[in-house]
Amino acid sequence: MKQGVAITGLGCLSGAGMNLAESMQSLFRNQRNPQPPQRFSTDHPVSYPVLELRDGLELPLDMCETIHARTSQLALAATLEALDDACWDVASLRGKRVGVCIGTTVGCALNCDDFYRAYKTDGDPGLATIERYLRSNPAALIARQLQLDGPNQTVVNACSSGTDAIGIAAAWLRAGVCDIAIAGGADELARVTYAGFSSLMITDTEPCKPFDLHRKGLNLGEGAGMLILESEAVRDGKKARGYLLGYGSACDAYHLTAPHPDGAGLKQALREAFAAAQVTPEQIAFVNAHGTGTPDNDRVESRVLHEVLPGVPFVSTKGYTGHTLGAAGAIEAVFTLACLQRGELPANIGFSTPDPELPATPLRENSRVEGDVALSESLAFGGNNAVLILAKGDG
Amino acid sequence: MDIKQKLKQVLIEELNLEDVTPEEIGDEEPLFGEGLGLDSLDAVELVVVVQKHFGVEIKDMEEGRPALQTISTLAAFIEAKQQG
Amino acid sequence: MRMAILGIGICCGCGNGVEALRSALQTGRVAPQEVCLERNGEADRFPTYRSSVEELSEFIPKRALRRIDHFSRMTLLGACLALKDADLLEADRSRTGVVIATGYGTLKTTFDFLDSYLDFGYACSSPTHFSNSVHNAAAAHVSMQFKATAPSLTVTQFEMSVASALLTAQLWLAEGRVDRVLFGAIDEYCEVLRYCRQQFFTDGEQGPIQPFSFDQQSAVVGEGAVFLVLTKAQEYAPYGYIDSVRLGNHLVNAVELPQDDMLIVGADGHKECGRYYAQLLKGREATAYAPLFGSFPTAAGFDLAVAALSLADRTRYPNPAVNGCANDAAEAAGRQFSDEKISCLKFGPGGDYGLIRLSL
Repeated sequence: MKQGVAITGLGCLSGAGMNLAESMQSLFRNQRNPQPPQRFSTDHPVSYPVLELRDGLELPLDMCETIHARTSQLALAATLEALDDACWDVASLRGKRVGVCIGTTVGCALNCDDFYRAYKTDGDPGLATIERYLRSNPAALIARQLQLDGPNQTVVNACSSGTDAIGIAAAWLRAGVCDIAIAGGADELARVTYAGFSSLMITDTEPCKPFDLHRKGLNLGEGAGMLILESEAVRDGKKARGYLLGYGSACDAYHLTAPHPDGAGLKQALREAFAAAQVTPEQIAFVNAHGTGTPDNDRVESRVLHEVLPGVPFVSTKGYTGHTLGAAGAIEAVFTLACLQRGELPANIGFSTPDPELPATPLRENSRVEGDVALSESLAFGGNNAVLILAKGDG
Repeated sequence: MDIKQKLKQVLIEELNLEDVTPEEIGDEEPLFGEGLGLDSLDAVELVVVVQKHFGVEIKDMEEGRPALQTISTLAAFIEAKQQG
Repeated sequence: MRMAILGIGICCGCGNGVEALRSALQTGRVAPQEVCLERNGEADRFPTYRSSVEELSEFIPKRALRRIDHFSRMTLLGACLALKDADLLEADRSRTGVVIATGYGTLKTTFDFLDSYLDFGYACSSPTHFSNSVHNAAAAHVSMQFKATAPSLTVTQFEMSVASALLTAQLWLAEGRVDRVLFGAIDEYCEVLRYCRQQFFTDGEQGPIQPFSFDQQSAVVGEGAVFLVLTKAQEYAPYGYIDSVRLGNHLVNAVELPQDDMLIVGADGHKECGRYYAQLLKGREATAYAPLFGSFPTAAGFDLAVAALSLADRTRYPNPAVNGCANDAAEAAGRQFSDEKISCLKFGPGGDYGLIRLSL
């Protein structure tokens, strides 16, 4: 096993909770609260439940004035929690080489439908929403807001963006491009993604049921997850929350929206991650699966897990958070590390009836974790697959 | 124009099947796989096409799958819904 | 770690392919295309640099393109031309990574998707437009078309997209994750973009682009795709090497420009970024090629292609003519050199910068 890149701070928020502690409470109490979207409306004949943040966002006042796009607000909230967890105050980051790598989907898309509606009706809409979009690129904005000098990157690999962003940031640290990295993902719920996912007919009209026989699709969610990565020189003996041992990614090169039926890309990403981490599948204590609750995703994932990681317990936490798209991989990496530390895994909420087509089934109840290494995986549009192998921290 | 004829036309238009003419699409030819060569993304697009051009809703793929086999099955589905 | 440039693919307002770019550099002139839009009963005439993608059917059957939008077609054409240039069209690409930089992502399809539900109701939201509007759709089409099963990455952050994405491409090669990277930079024109730019800049969008009039808005909207085939430094590098990629913020920590390098700046008639170039150059000699392909965020990728071509031709191409004036384009053949380094510098409006160094 390699030593890996130290992770010294974690932060996350989603429909499961406004911070990591609250989220863990929901997970282990097996609570979730999907409901029809409150922040926007559509004339869609069917209403699909989503997981929105429970409470309003609270950000430092000086930052509220300059950050208006919700995705960036989510990214900032998780970043501040993670920095605090890593015992960094913003001022002491100045003068250090700090990279920012953030995955998103909505945070980068020119989906300004109110503006566009006015434009279409031959109005002359003002450019306030466009200006907000131009100011709100998540990685660029976090770097600018915290006045950081270093590389920054906004990754738009659809639903694996958060996982990829963490893997990429770790490579920056190994190469010495920066000494500290803020890495993760953020995505807000938006009418556009809501309309898009329902048009693909992969959203469930009920709370989602990952890996269940009766699964009909996903519930959308929103949120952000952030990790602080530090070089050994900067960390200087500080306790780590965990370590990133390995990252792997591969493309199915098969179809724009459907996963490869045999999970070719996922298996290749797993192989790369195992090789990079220098661990074997037997060493994996559990898997935080992508488990969106769509028929195709869960079938492919279950088959690959059965083949590559037979008998290893796995759970999808998307029942608690919904599918937070570009944030998903990051939130799940945060959960993976927190569960390793806690020594316990939550039940895969929504699963009750096994599907005979699925050779591997997820955890039905909260369970103890046996081991120090775990794996988190993401499958995305465009055939992207990304895998992180994470190890428990220093107690 | 009968439903089958209209279906073939809107299929070509909406799915950008530039290299096919309506006459070349057989009523019983499978729409997916070996036949016309459509795929899962076309299937959900077809649901929208049917809604948009015929005012007929396909609720989910359980309902959609048997209807989306051939031009004939789809036309029959639309007809039944329009009369119902 | 150095990266060798094995091939270049170009699809932009100056034409398609390396020869089109070379010819544009030699003549120093590319005429923008005039577009006329009707809006609110008024005709809006303005110059653009647009790309033609008809050539794509030489590489990919029409049927395979039926769901692929203009953005992804430019992407695919750029990628095909780069692989052809590198003589790798038939090569095994299972260890070729795909890295795409785009300032805005696909615009037209994003609005086509909004059209589908704004015009016909949410129940008619088009799944095809939605899937193609996702920012990594173009990368997915490239991976599918070329059976590139190695890692794929799309980066979207306006002017910094190119430098940022290139940094990760470099690390993939350095860590041996891939043997080659198909690196592309793409942005597209659409009518809504014209509306926004006109609202922001009014007459400052009428051109001609005067890159070195830093305090003047003189942009012309452009679009295009440029691809580089990259590999770990080796003996054979027909277009030289990319030595280093640096990103940072000039306002936090001032850029240190390499002393003796030839400089290519991404100045493209945007006043907001112009001031940083003015501050930094202080009269130092530099070239800017935006008048050959237009103003758009990932034009920084075209600067890289120009640098690579300059290295291959051992020629410092002059600044393009402005206003039909000869400028220093008088030295049409350009100045020859034997052993130079080239730095490409691009600023964003917030002072963020990308600095990429190339050499033979």
